[in-house]
Amino acid sequence: MDSQMLSQLFEATGETLVMVFFSTLFSLVLGLPIGVLLHITGKEEDGGIIPSAVFNSVLSRIVNVLRSFPFIILLIVLIPLSRLIVGTSIGTKAAIVPLSIAAAPFVARIIESALKEVDPGVIQAAKAMGSTNWQLVYKVLIPEAMPALMSGLTLTIINLIGYSAMAGTIGGGGLGDLAIRYGYQRFRPSYLVGAVIVILIMVEIIQVAGDRIVKRMMAKR
Amino acid sequence: MHIRLKNLKRDYGQLHAVQDVSLDIPSNTIYGIIGRSGAGKSTLVRLVSMLEKPDAGEVYYDDERVDNLEGKALIEKRRHIGMIFQNFNLFSSRNASENIAYPMEICKMDKAYIKKRVNELLELVGLEGRGDAPISTLSGGQKQRVAIARALACKPDILFCDEATSALDPQTTRSILALIKELQAKMNLTVVMITHQMEVVRDACQRVAVLDSGRIVEEGLVSDIFANPKSEVTNDFLSNLTNVKDSIVRWSNVAGRFTLRFRGGTTDEPVISNVTAETGATFNIRAAGVQEVAGEELGVMVLDIGPDEQHVKAAISLLRKYGVSVEGDL
Repeated sequence: MDSQMLSQLFEATGETLVMVFFSTLFSLVLGLPIGVLLHITGKEEDGGIIPSAVFNSVLSRIVNVLRSFPFIILLIVLIPLSRLIVGTSIGTKAAIVPLSIAAAPFVARIIESALKEVDPGVIQAAKAMGSTNWQLVYKVLIPEAMPALMSGLTLTIINLIGYSAMAGTIGGGGLGDLAIRYGYQRFRPSYLVGAVIVILIMVEIIQVAGDRIVKRMMAKR
Repeated sequence: MHIRLKNLKRDYGQLHAVQDVSLDIPSNTIYGIIGRSGAGKSTLVRLVSMLEKPDAGEVYYDDERVDNLEGKALIEKRRHIGMIFQNFNLFSSRNASENIAYPMEICKMDKAYIKKRVNELLELVGLEGRGDAPISTLSGGQKQRVAIARALACKPDILFCDEATSALDPQTTRSILALIKELQAKMNLTVVMITHQMEVVRDACQRVAVLDSGRIVEEGLVSDIFANPKSEVTNDFLSNLTNVKDSIVRWSNVAGRFTLRFRGGTTDEPVISNVTAETGATFNIRAAGVQEVAGEELGVMVLDIGPDEQHVKAAISLLRKYGVSVEGDL
């Protein structure tokens, strides 16, 4: 292990963090409203607020289609979109676009299932008190589901760490890119090992931190 | 507030949950609606409380029709009713105080007022100083107290109780009923109490409607219905009550074929002796005692009549003439 490799690892780690941070953020921005919509348009006995069977099943299909795209194919398909949004199709910035879009439907499902855990009776009570639909969502549904949403967020970040490594294949930068270019293509297994160890540590930190936050939330209930 | 239901109907596919229910619920009373599970109670309360729309029929609060309200008007109207539930339905993300504050928050009331009112309400339901408690640390009775405080936060005219005591033990049930009675009188509430427990009707309600298969089979003053039940369902509820009642002394292990109920007015006369003298029937008393129903005392007697069926028939028709209600395997 030489100092050049260390500085490369360091740089790649930074890139991965940037990719993961922004793609988590954007996938939440895209996925949260979709997840909420999926839940509130569901059946009333499941806790739906504005049940609409047609809208719900159409949205659900779209989410399923997007989720079943293999990520590696999505990466290639979305090259023109990346170019349109960030002006380039390679590098860290460009990788954030497909990462966010790939993770959004996943986030939507995670959020939907977190909201499903909220007792429909509580929603009914809040409705009977005269809450508007918007109040039901932001004052009841989301706060009630917060611990489950938090574990969903942990899961999303960890997934995105994995996905971001794949983005290396289209020159997305980050630890995956480093591992492929140096470790695989130039036969330097120490790079592979180094990248994997850093990813392992990242995942572990996120998981432990996420679990702690959830635990603390539950302790206050 | 006076509630009037007119020919309410609600179907779920093939299931006729509520069929043709008309009721007058007078203002400033505790009104019981009793029925077995599946009788349509929950659907009825959802219709009356504007949570669901009837397929046909009308709901009036005072003289305003409310079943056809939509959008803003509906939300506004809902803010003037309170509701409590079997499972409390409190927000686990909020502590006791924040739960009570919720209905005032959604009406955008002044923060300082909310704080003051929350403390008032905590005191009202006997939970002073427990405002910071997370919901999971409260007992069932305390949870229902928080729910009651939350329901009354915006000073509603009507309080709906949907099986509010069904998840509570008998002692806690009594204390919650006592609280509801106290608050009803204090705030001039119209309380509608949905239940499957005759004890609740006996201890808290002034009037009762008996619901069976989506229809009202009997309606009236609680004391009248206890003294003289007309429908089979009511009889069923009452006989279950007789068996668990501890003020009744039982001096025989034989169950007794008939249950007699005497009202205050009739109990001065030697009814049993008179019937024996007139018909020659013999009575074997298995258990007897006094029940208090809606503030009125009711004599209850479990007995067998002999010596044969002819005497049984004669005795029963004479007892009924004396104003005694007779239930049992005739």
